[in-house]
Amino acid sequence: MTPGPHATALEPALARVLQAGTYLSIGLVAVGSELLISAGGSPLAGGPALSLSRLPADLLALRPEGFLWLGVLGIVLTPALRVVTALLGFWRRGERAMAVVATLILAVVAAGVVSGLLTG
Amino acid sequence: MEVGLLMLAGGIAAGAFGSILGLGGGLLIVPLLTLGFGLPLREAVGVSLVCVIVTSSASAGVYLQRRQANLRLGMVLELFTAAGAVVGGAVAFLIDERLLAALFALLLVYVAVTMLQALRQPAEEPATDDETPPHAHLAGEPGADRGTRQPGITEQDGGLVAGLGGPGYEVERLPAAALGSVGAGIASALLGIGGGLIKVPLMHLVLGVPLRVATATSNLMIGITASASALVYLIRGGIDAYVAGPTAVGVFVGASIGSRLGHRVGQRALRVLFVLVLVYTAIEMARRAAGIA
Repeated sequence: MTPGPHATALEPALARVLQAGTYLSIGLVAVGSELLISAGGSPLAGGPALSLSRLPADLLALRPEGFLWLGVLGIVLTPALRVVTALLGFWRRGERAMAVVATLILAVVAAGVVSGLLTG
Repeated sequence: MEVGLLMLAGGIAAGAFGSILGLGGGLLIVPLLTLGFGLPLREAVGVSLVCVIVTSSASAGVYLQRRQANLRLGMVLELFTAAGAVVGGAVAFLIDERLLAALFALLLVYVAVTMLQALRQPAEEPATDDETPPHAHLAGEPGADRGTRQPGITEQDGGLVAGLGGPGYEVERLPAAALGSVGAGIASALLGIGGGLIKVPLMHLVLGVPLRVATATSNLMIGITASASALVYLIRGGIDAYVAGPTAVGVFVGASIGSRLGHRVGQRALRVLFVLVLVYTAIEMARRAAGIA
C-alpha cells in the first residue's frame, strides 16, 4: 500500500492529463463551432449523429461536425484518461488496493457504454 | 448564424454567472437550452453534462496541482458516483420528460432557498486571484475554494480506508458516504448537474473532511461522474454536437471570465437577482412539468 521512498506524487501527472485533455478538446470544439457559425449553420438544425467511421473524412473536409464530435469525445473521455493514468501510477507505486479501485471505476464506465449500446 | 452566436453568448453568461456565484453550470445551462432555445429537456441535460465535464476537468487540474483535492478519497467515492450515474443515465431515457422537469424545478427551489439563507449570514472574505483556480466555482460547489492552500495530502500506512484521510482528519462513516454518492451520481445523470450540492456536504458533514478539501475533491469526482452518464447519453443519441459546441465554448470562456471578476462584483445584489431568476425558472419548469408551457 505504501509507495517506495523514491515514488513521485501522482497529482501533477493527473493534473497535466486533465488540463491537456480539456484545452485540446475545447480547442477542437471551438474550431468546429467557428466553422458551423461562419457557414451560417444553425445549432438548432440538428447535427449529424456521431459516426466514428466518418470522422476522419469530416476532419479532412473541414466539416464542423468532425471537429465538434472529436472535441466532444475528447471532453467526455478526458476524465477516464485521468483514471487510466492513476491506475498505472498506483500500480507502479505498489498501491494495489487503489489500482483495483481505479480498475473498478473504468469497469463501471465500460458497463455504462455497454448498457447504452444494448438499449440504444 | 444568430442562433449560434446567441448560444455562445448564453454559454458565456451561464459560465460567468455560475463561476461568480459558486453554482453548478448545469443549473443554468439546462434552463437556458430548454426555456431559451426550446430544446427537449433530455437533450439539454446531455449537453449540460458535456459542459460540466469541461469546467470540472479544468478546475480539478488546478486543485490536483495544488494538492487541495484528496485523490484517493475522491477515487473511492467516484466509484459509487459513477455507478449512480450509469443507472441515472439509463433511467433518464425511461421516465417522462415532465417528471424530469418537476425534479429540476424542485432542485431550483432548493438552491434558491439555500442562497436566501446564505444572504442572511455575514459575508465571507473574498478569495484572491492566486487562490482561485479558473472555473473553480462552476462545477457545482457552493462557496468553493475560499481559503489558503491545503498542505499536501499524504499517504498513510494501513488499509485502504486508513489511507483515505489527510492532514488533520480521518475519514469516518464511509458506507453512508458511498450510498450518498450513488444518489449524487443519479441526480447528476438525471438533471445534468455536477452534483457538488450533494457531494460537498456529504464529505464535510458525514465523512468529516475539511470543507476546502471536500470542495476540491468534489470537483475531481464530478468529471468521471458526468463522463459515465454522458457516454450513455452520447451512445443513445442524447447529445447534439451542434448545440454542445457553441455552448461548451461559451461556458468555458464565461467561467474563465467569472473566476477573474468574481471578487470584484457585488455578491449580494447579484445573489438577490439570481434568486429571482431561479424562482422564475422554477415556475417555468413547473409549468412545463404540468404540461401548460
